[in-house]
Amino acid sequence: MAAHSNRRVTLLCRPTKHLSSGSDPKAYWLVGSPFLPPLTVASLLLRLSSDDLHKESVELRTLIPKGFEVIGALAYGADADAQAAVYAARRLRKLLYGEEEGDNRPVIGAVAAGSGELKFFVSESGKSNSLEEVDSVVEEEHSEKYVWENGCLVRCELPIKLPVYYPLKNTSDVEKAFVRAIEAVVAKLRDSQAVYMLEALNKTSMDLPAPIVIRGGHLDFRADLSNIWPLAEGGDNFDVNSLPCSYFSVISKGSSGFSVENADTIQVSVLFNSLGPSSASAVPVAEYIPAQDEARLLVVDIKLDVLCYASKKLPLRHAVSRLIIPGLADQLNALQNSMLPNLLGQHPQIKPYHFSPPHVLHPITVFYELSFGETEMKQVEVRRSLHTRLGLPFDRPLLRIANALDFSKLKNGGLGSQQKGSTLLRDVHIGIPNSGVSGGSVSLVQGSYEYFHYLQDGFNDSGWGCAYRSLQTIISWFRLQNYSSIEVPSHREIQQSLVEIGDKDPSFVGTRDWIGAIELSFVLDKLLGVTCKVINVRSGAELPEKCRELALHFETQGTPIMIGGGVLAYTLLGVDYNEASGDCAFLILDPHYTGTDDLKKIVNGGWCGWKKAVDSKGKNFFLHDKFYNLLLPQRPNMV
Amino acid sequence: MVKAVVAEETRLKPIEDRLAQSSLPSEVGLIIGKFSSGLDRAFVFDLIPTPNNDSGDPASSISEPEKKKGSKSDTSSLFIDKDWVAEHARQVSRMLVGGMKVVGIYVWISDGAFKNSTIVLCQTVKVVAEAAVIVEAEWDERLLLHICYSPRRWSCRNCSLSSNITSSSLRPCDFKMGKVLNYLQTFKCMYNFTLRLPIFHDNASKFHTFSDVLRHAISLHAKELKGARALIDGKLVVDGEPYSTDGVHEVELLLPFTSNTPFEAFSQRDVVGILSFSGLVCSFAYLNSKEPISQAITDIKNKVFSPNFTNLVSFLVFPIPPGVTPCAQGDIIMSLQSRLDIICDEADADSGSGPDVGREASSDLSTEKPVSQCVLHLLRKGCMLPFPRRVFAPWLAGIYVCDYLQPSDTVEVLKDHCTELLSMKAPTDVSTILELEKEAISVKTKSFWDVAVPFSSAIPQHLEKSKTDDSRELTENNKSANSGHVNLMAAIFILLLSILLGFVFFLQKS
Repeated sequence: MAAHSNRRVTLLCRPTKHLSSGSDPKAYWLVGSPFLPPLTVASLLLRLSSDDLHKESVELRTLIPKGFEVIGALAYGADADAQAAVYAARRLRKLLYGEEEGDNRPVIGAVAAGSGELKFFVSESGKSNSLEEVDSVVEEEHSEKYVWENGCLVRCELPIKLPVYYPLKNTSDVEKAFVRAIEAVVAKLRDSQAVYMLEALNKTSMDLPAPIVIRGGHLDFRADLSNIWPLAEGGDNFDVNSLPCSYFSVISKGSSGFSVENADTIQVSVLFNSLGPSSASAVPVAEYIPAQDEARLLVVDIKLDVLCYASKKLPLRHAVSRLIIPGLADQLNALQNSMLPNLLGQHPQIKPYHFSPPHVLHPITVFYELSFGETEMKQVEVRRSLHTRLGLPFDRPLLRIANALDFSKLKNGGLGSQQKGSTLLRDVHIGIPNSGVSGGSVSLVQGSYEYFHYLQDGFNDSGWGCAYRSLQTIISWFRLQNYSSIEVPSHREIQQSLVEIGDKDPSFVGTRDWIGAIELSFVLDKLLGVTCKVINVRSGAELPEKCRELALHFETQGTPIMIGGGVLAYTLLGVDYNEASGDCAFLILDPHYTGTDDLKKIVNGGWCGWKKAVDSKGKNFFLHDKFYNLLLPQRPNMV
Repeated sequence: MVKAVVAEETRLKPIEDRLAQSSLPSEVGLIIGKFSSGLDRAFVFDLIPTPNNDSGDPASSISEPEKKKGSKSDTSSLFIDKDWVAEHARQVSRMLVGGMKVVGIYVWISDGAFKNSTIVLCQTVKVVAEAAVIVEAEWDERLLLHICYSPRRWSCRNCSLSSNITSSSLRPCDFKMGKVLNYLQTFKCMYNFTLRLPIFHDNASKFHTFSDVLRHAISLHAKELKGARALIDGKLVVDGEPYSTDGVHEVELLLPFTSNTPFEAFSQRDVVGILSFSGLVCSFAYLNSKEPISQAITDIKNKVFSPNFTNLVSFLVFPIPPGVTPCAQGDIIMSLQSRLDIICDEADADSGSGPDVGREASSDLSTEKPVSQCVLHLLRKGCMLPFPRRVFAPWLAGIYVCDYLQPSDTVEVLKDHCTELLSMKAPTDVSTILELEKEAISVKTKSFWDVAVPFSSAIPQHLEKSKTDDSRELTENNKSANSGHVNLMAAIFILLLSILLGFVFFLQKS
């Protein structure tokens, strides 16, 4: 039996959540950071290919941001399987970070027993085979704070148009030429003439610290990330070469939540110094060099975009030499490998994107091929596989391009509430007075929607358009969650699609006829491929009984519900339900509002607010002599 | 628009005295100065008289038409050899560094003659402006300085270049003498560049000759330079920070990591060769310290660079003091263009004036044809064109002027130019002449495939090449060694055989 270690494993994620999701035994990589205390697990990534470690290393190299690294593996099985996990983690580390890095650091081998119990073992060095069991395992409560309080992001974008010359008589040489060109770029990044300019990238553009210039000659490519940063603390002289990343932090402590989106971001630009070596200071010479044999020029378009995590104590120059440059080099190699097979045939448009998916502590970087659009099967497969690796649900499009982190927004100051040029109000329920249900639990719509109501866009639909408006609100929700990119349809377009599916006669288009929940479900199915659950109640009095079901809907699906039936149509955004007392309230978004898009007016007038089934005056909100149809849109299985 | 002109007193007063003492009826010459869009002001550093033309006549003369009886008014008018003045301006502007320009002309003439000659004066201002282009500033006027001898008076006018010549194109502006040269700050930039340009087979481009291609390359590089950021004395420029007028401030230009190749991504075109253009440009620029930095940044954004929005952003984000980088950049590009002009001028002079009719027909490189006139995509062999060296001579108050020397030239050429064109005393002490650009070293011509690798100058390309060479040599050596080995073996075998045979014979005999 293994000896016991006095080390401590800190868990910033909940492995048990991942583990329970699958029945077949899976293996995971544990991700930590040299900037966090040793044996701190920030995230779990599913091991996708069980036998091909090389393939895993290729995928993980660009996926995990620099500043995070694989620090161990988790496997199902008995204690004895920990050794295999450690062995796999060591081999992967060697592939990713080189022989030395692979061996020197402690690596975690974790095993999950069938009962769900987790055990952690640590291997101090690759040189010895001994494993020690770690008894002290701490689950960190405020993991986001733990990671981001002392951390920041460093980002570098570098578009390159690479000229590749190759001989015509031997076109296969283009690959060789391409590899040489890529090598030349990597060498130039490390050249002493390269200059890295760092500046703060922030929401508030006031009083930013002055940009810093770091010269290639001052870079130390062998600096040890987990050891150097405490040393830099002592020096307080203003030397550019010892300035830490915190020089650029401008966010006042505790002003906003800790997350990838709120982290300090340092923007790095790569420049090239015109001040050459003095030996080359000769007068300009023009030289024409003819090609010995027929040659052709291919210009390859490369877009690099590296996002790294760094401790705020890390000197800026090490952030460049140990995070940014290796990151750029890794991306170049990854692009080279994916472009090489068909360099002359296709014109790949591969572009990196950064994402911060929910419940993953660190950002991830993914390359997407944009030639054929996002919904192409190959791209869907790529996203599906990423969802699998990250443990993300398969009915949430979280890794579409629209979800990507947008740093240009930060730079321009606005925190994109008015993005895409839409002028409609969003999420009007946020900040309204609470329902008054004592001890109830609130279940709400998940994600943003736009408030559509009567008379918008100068279109007079007062008296007949409420269901159309409710449908528009629901479609806007699907749009904003990136399930679809179609425009929100107009009344006429809604009628047209009902005619197209044969539900209505062609004469229906242009009329002022009401539509109901069933028609809405047809339109949602036609336009978005969304299926809906329908709940019928014969009387409004029965609605409170459905609260539990509705709460469950908001928890699992989180889509806005349309309430139709005998009378007026509403949109339901949430329920507040006390299971013990049966007391409940409905968060109603009323499309019958005819005023201007003034949030105060809407909230004060009760056009968006909590409605109790029976209000304080004893009036029923849902009429007892009318029937109601509740339309519950289901999230489609798409990523 | 220039509202006020300040001229260097220490220079203009002696000029006035000289003119007054001379018996010249008229003199015309160039104004050397600087235009500051931020201050709506122009500074005049010096006036340079245009020398006599090739036939020995002065550039200007007074023509006195036959006086009508009873007419008391001055009917004399000025004749100016406009082409000659323009040529002078062209040559002088080549000798000026960043922040120093030919900003107009001056004329020494009587009041009456001036009034009668506004048209010819305006025409001269226009041809001078065309000959000595001020690229970077959107300044569509030039100065016309009138030194009147009776009564002795200085007056300055703006001459608009955009409108047609009418009497209204001359507007008076405020003129005063003062100290200008003392407030100049010096910025120096040692600018190394490497440029690679593919020469295409189909020659869709309109650039045929070596010089055409080079001109195109320089203009491409000018675009690239616009995106460059500047460091002054090793530091990014902080807005509002004053710079002392003492000493020379070193400017470092930081270029985007990869050049913006003007080619479409994934376009494929047949290439016959590569133009490699690289070297050092030593550049100076002068800035008036009165121009406030923050003020000038807004001026850069509003006036000088307004047409190019990307430029505006790059300058806004990284404040650069006025004039400095634009001038330094301007100076770099101007210097390259001037050198190319000199090469072309000489080539034209060599091959005789007028276009060579048979040039297109004879595709082969004839020995007489200058390199600059070779048609590149028809060339089968490589060729090299070293640019003239830029040297600097001290002029006013330590300000440098420059000149370009061909490999065969000595500093005497510079002295001649200084006296002829700038009418200055030639620097007697040769040690005051700055020669920062070294003579071109004859580099061993690299092969096409070496140059084809991007940034190949930045990586030890020679190493790789020599490696392959070595390996080739090695194998060859091996081969010869092998064959030698075989020979040796054969010799030994024959020797052994002969010994054996001899032994056998010996045995048989015995």
